[in-house]
Amino acid sequence: MRVREAAAAVALAALAMAGLVAAAHAQSSLGIGTNEATLPSTGLFAHVLNWVNVEQQRFYRALAGALKSMRDGGGGLWLLIGLSFAYGVFHAAGPGHGKAVISSYMIANEVALRRGIVLSFVSALLQGVSAIVLMGLVYVVLAGTSLTMTDASRFLEIGSYALVTGFGAWLLWRKAGRRLVALMRPAPMLAPAGMPGVTAALFEAHGGDARTDAGDAKASAPRRVLNVQCTHPDIGPGEICAECGHSHAPDPSMLSGRDFDWRTAWTAIVAVGIRPCTGALIVLSFALLNGLIFGGVVSVLAMSIGTAITVSVLATLAVTAKNWALALTGSGSGGALHAAIEIAGAALVFLLGALMLAASLSA
Amino acid sequence: MAALSPRAALAHPHVFAEATLEVEVGPDHTVHSLGHVWRFDDLFSATVLMEFDKNKDRKLDDAELAEVGRTVHDSLADFGYFQMVTANGKDVAMKAPAELIATYDKQQLIIMFESAPEKPLKLAGKIDFGIYDPTFYTAIDFTSDDMMKVNGMPADCRRKVIRPDPDEAIAQNQKTLTDAFFNDPTGTDYTKLFATRLELDCGGGK
Repeated sequence: MRVREAAAAVALAALAMAGLVAAAHAQSSLGIGTNEATLPSTGLFAHVLNWVNVEQQRFYRALAGALKSMRDGGGGLWLLIGLSFAYGVFHAAGPGHGKAVISSYMIANEVALRRGIVLSFVSALLQGVSAIVLMGLVYVVLAGTSLTMTDASRFLEIGSYALVTGFGAWLLWRKAGRRLVALMRPAPMLAPAGMPGVTAALFEAHGGDARTDAGDAKASAPRRVLNVQCTHPDIGPGEICAECGHSHAPDPSMLSGRDFDWRTAWTAIVAVGIRPCTGALIVLSFALLNGLIFGGVVSVLAMSIGTAITVSVLATLAVTAKNWALALTGSGSGGALHAAIEIAGAALVFLLGALMLAASLSA
Repeated sequence: MAALSPRAALAHPHVFAEATLEVEVGPDHTVHSLGHVWRFDDLFSATVLMEFDKNKDRKLDDAELAEVGRTVHDSLADFGYFQMVTANGKDVAMKAPAELIATYDKQQLIIMFESAPEKPLKLAGKIDFGIYDPTFYTAIDFTSDDMMKVNGMPADCRRKVIRPDPDEAIAQNQKTLTDAFFNDPTGTDYTKLFATRLELDCGGGK
């Protein structure tokens, strides 16, 4: 692999790892509630995350204040909505798995940005709805049973992580399997020796499995005929490269039909969305106890919309970074870098899922 | 190695508690007990109520409160009951409290307990009482310095409440932290640097 491509791959991998710090759930120190134990991460970004945390605390307290004021008859529904929205925006900017999965999925698949944003919104709203439904079920429908909130949310959480893991494995198989067929034929551009850092590890770890699948994948991969290596650094983003017949920074509308299907997208949405948002559960508990059910529901929906905006922005950044890397190195959508990024994206989804699943099962 | 980033920078508290600490000192200048009272924030208290309200009457009766106390007691055992006591820099082992008493007052959960050092702890030199959650799940907040009290403090002791600034704490301990990080990247030992602590500076120390 050429130096420029290698450098771009390293930069992109670093960006991905820094932005997508996974949150593994574990039993909290108090034994009540779950702690979003974060993986240790080294830190150029530590200061940013620290700032985000401080802001989150401030919102958490303001949110509690607004709810208390409503409880005491002080009104403030709009304040609550505003704060919930802001809380959602900031909470999603901190470590968490939702945006990591959505971003990685978008990196692994050429999803038009517009659809990616819809994806972010639907999954975030589903997280809010999941919290509302869970609260309603446990406290209204199943009143009198010994089912606790923690049991129920833990069940959904593990379900979510299992789905993410399975989804990641499936993505990985599809991406790596297809690419391997393509790589068998021309000179192998993706020799592990030439791959730096993280990406190399992914290939070593998963290359074996994928190779055994190559036979099956060969039959179902007629698209690979179009796999023409094309390197024209002088062609700018958006311009069409006549020799390979596609643009270097592909137009979203061209991509939208290619690798995208709603069944796959719904898998991603459900995998992320069934885990109820912890902040939402807390607000709902307080609201229910104080007879502020309407306020609680509105607050949770505002939170979801806030979260969705942040997730959309981060997912858009991830995809833009990918497109830039491809444009800068002049590799097209059939190129080695492209393949590496897609496989890395799929591997990330899988790794995030497996990590969080392991953490929550051992808790 | 500029990229030192303790987990502290990433974790953030989900639970806030206003705390008081009372250190009881006997006439023999040894520490008899530490008395803790933690009053939890309304939101967390609401989730605790929802969680432990088995009969779903939307309040916690005595049996349910006892269960809260037991749960927190069992869980805190792994975290030294959020206490980090040192005598002249050396860790002081504390006995596990017999029980945690949970009550519910004005929509707030209150946890109370008392603990004692395993071996007699004489007030000599610098004795530090840090109260904090090493996982940063709970923010134990002493709203004013008066919330950390000493009853029966000997005349030759001075009392001080230290609230470290995280950035300074990291800067001052850069080397130790870096070593600690490489020796045990997952360790949470360095978290004590960020804790609010009561320091007694007494005569007769080394």
